[in-house]
Amino acid sequence: MELFTRIVRWLSVTFGLIAAGLTAAGVVVVCQMVFVRYVLNQTTIWQTDFVTFSLVAATFLGSPYVLLTKGHVNVDVLPIYAGPRARWWLAFFAVSISLAFVAVMAWLTFSFWLEAYENNWRSDSMWRARLWIPYMAMPVGLGILTLQYIVDFLDLVTGREPPFGITGEGPAVSIKETGI
Amino acid sequence: MSPATQGILVFIVTVAVFLTGAPVAFALGAVGIAFLVIFQGPAALHVAAETLYSGLHDFTLVSIPMFIMMGAAIGSSPAGRDLYIALDRWLYRVPGGLVVSNLGACAIFAALTGSSPATCAAIGKMGIPEMRKRGYPDEVATGSICAGGTLGILIPPSITLILYGIATETSIGRLFLAGVLPGLLLTALFMGWTVFYIWKSGFRAYAEGFRYSWKEKFASIPKVAPFLVIVIAVMYVLYGGIATPSEAAGVGAAFCVLFAVLIYRMWNPMQWWDILRSTTRESVMILMIIATAVLFGYMLTSLYITQTLAEAIAALNVNKWVLMGLINLFLLVCGCFIPPAGIILMTAPILLPIITAAGFDPIWFGVIMTINMEIGLITPPVGLNLFVVNAIAPDVPTRTVLWGSVPYVGMMVLCIVILCIFPEIVTWLPDYLMGPVVK
Repeated sequence: MELFTRIVRWLSVTFGLIAAGLTAAGVVVVCQMVFVRYVLNQTTIWQTDFVTFSLVAATFLGSPYVLLTKGHVNVDVLPIYAGPRARWWLAFFAVSISLAFVAVMAWLTFSFWLEAYENNWRSDSMWRARLWIPYMAMPVGLGILTLQYIVDFLDLVTGREPPFGITGEGPAVSIKETGI
Repeated sequence: MSPATQGILVFIVTVAVFLTGAPVAFALGAVGIAFLVIFQGPAALHVAAETLYSGLHDFTLVSIPMFIMMGAAIGSSPAGRDLYIALDRWLYRVPGGLVVSNLGACAIFAALTGSSPATCAAIGKMGIPEMRKRGYPDEVATGSICAGGTLGILIPPSITLILYGIATETSIGRLFLAGVLPGLLLTALFMGWTVFYIWKSGFRAYAEGFRYSWKEKFASIPKVAPFLVIVIAVMYVLYGGIATPSEAAGVGAAFCVLFAVLIYRMWNPMQWWDILRSTTRESVMILMIIATAVLFGYMLTSLYITQTLAEAIAALNVNKWVLMGLINLFLLVCGCFIPPAGIILMTAPILLPIITAAGFDPIWFGVIMTINMEIGLITPPVGLNLFVVNAIAPDVPTRTVLWGSVPYVGMMVLCIVILCIFPEIVTWLPDYLMGPVVK
């Protein structure tokens, strides 16, 4: 189990780095697009698609890393104020519901990707990009997210991690990096 | 089962799943696909993957990570400190000047970063200890920073307004302009209340015995000015129709990172990684909520719940201001528990037809909704800014911070009332600069 946990964490961090790289690439390409369009007065072909695809991919591929670092915002009123036993059950339900959702979506997005690959779907834009490439981010990201949730589930039931990562008392523990 | 009963069931189940502490994104998605399967059978899932993808496949959404990066670049630099110092040196002789300069710094920093907790943390770290040192009451020192931080989601560029624009298909440039005057009004109300409270409690300007030289007054400005120029330039190209929000935000983000690196000599690659890391974390979190909110919305529409709710409210035939009051109350309650992104993406598409049918302007309502979300940031039990301030000043009891924030909640409610009476405060600037909306 230790090895499984380590492999999944490594995957989450690695794909988090890839997601960060895709986000940075998005900024660079937007700047290039603005330069080509407004300074050189030329038309752009692939840039809009590339930026959109890269940020969609960053969302799915980066999601396991965000889960690992407890960055997915939640309503934590009950978990903060509940007693340890109730908090454990809340975490159990929260992880189970989320795990079920991401596992189902991983399977559904895999089928969707397969359909795009077999039928060689292309984007409607001038670039005519092969859609199975950007679509691949969904099953890969959600697949790793499922594995990360399995790790979280095992950590919870074996008592390796406290529910919601809350060890102390009081609401101060719930501060997250949420911008809005 | 009728759509109305299904709607009630969806509401109860969604609240229950939220309360377990499951991430908002996955809770919305889980409820969405569960109800699709229950009421339409497993075949309904055939479109779930495509719906999830289509929720994100929109070039406008690119502006979200870009604006977050703008904020992260400025927030990770000492720009907040310089802004604070600059304003303090200019306003230190005004009665209650320190708290006024703190609120001013919050408003400007909020415009730069678009983040409420970041504003609270950046200005509060400097402002709260300084205000307490100069004898300001604890409740004023902490409450003003809590409230000042909330301006981040109203004063443009605001992620909250982008989300509203996407959810309701209204112009983001127009929404940004609509947020300017209410943001200034709210800042003025915060300042006015604070100066009045300080004056009433007999506290006078402390800075009697010393003066800052002109050299000192101008010293901090050159460091902060470039960031202000970027934000103003982004706004200019946006409302001027010169570039799309995503293009303007992308170039703005690149310049903010560049200036943060050059001005504050952030040569260490770890500092760059910090900017990229916080950008990725926050944008992934928000974009994932958007994707699953689209799935949730698809479920509501295909079960005919949205339409039934809109028709039921229209059939109530209540006075439109009573309706607005009820909607505000609903949003306030939601804001106390659910993060702004979740509320806007879930409720805005449902509320929009109701609002427009009642004759309200969707741009105006976007601003009203945002102020409601601001209140949620400083009210328990999940007021994020309260926790940030609590972490900065752990020796100030939470009760004091809470009581200190209450008058500012009152100011926000007053602001909503003023905007209801004078909706032109919201609509005048976008109409003047971009022309009236063609209906």
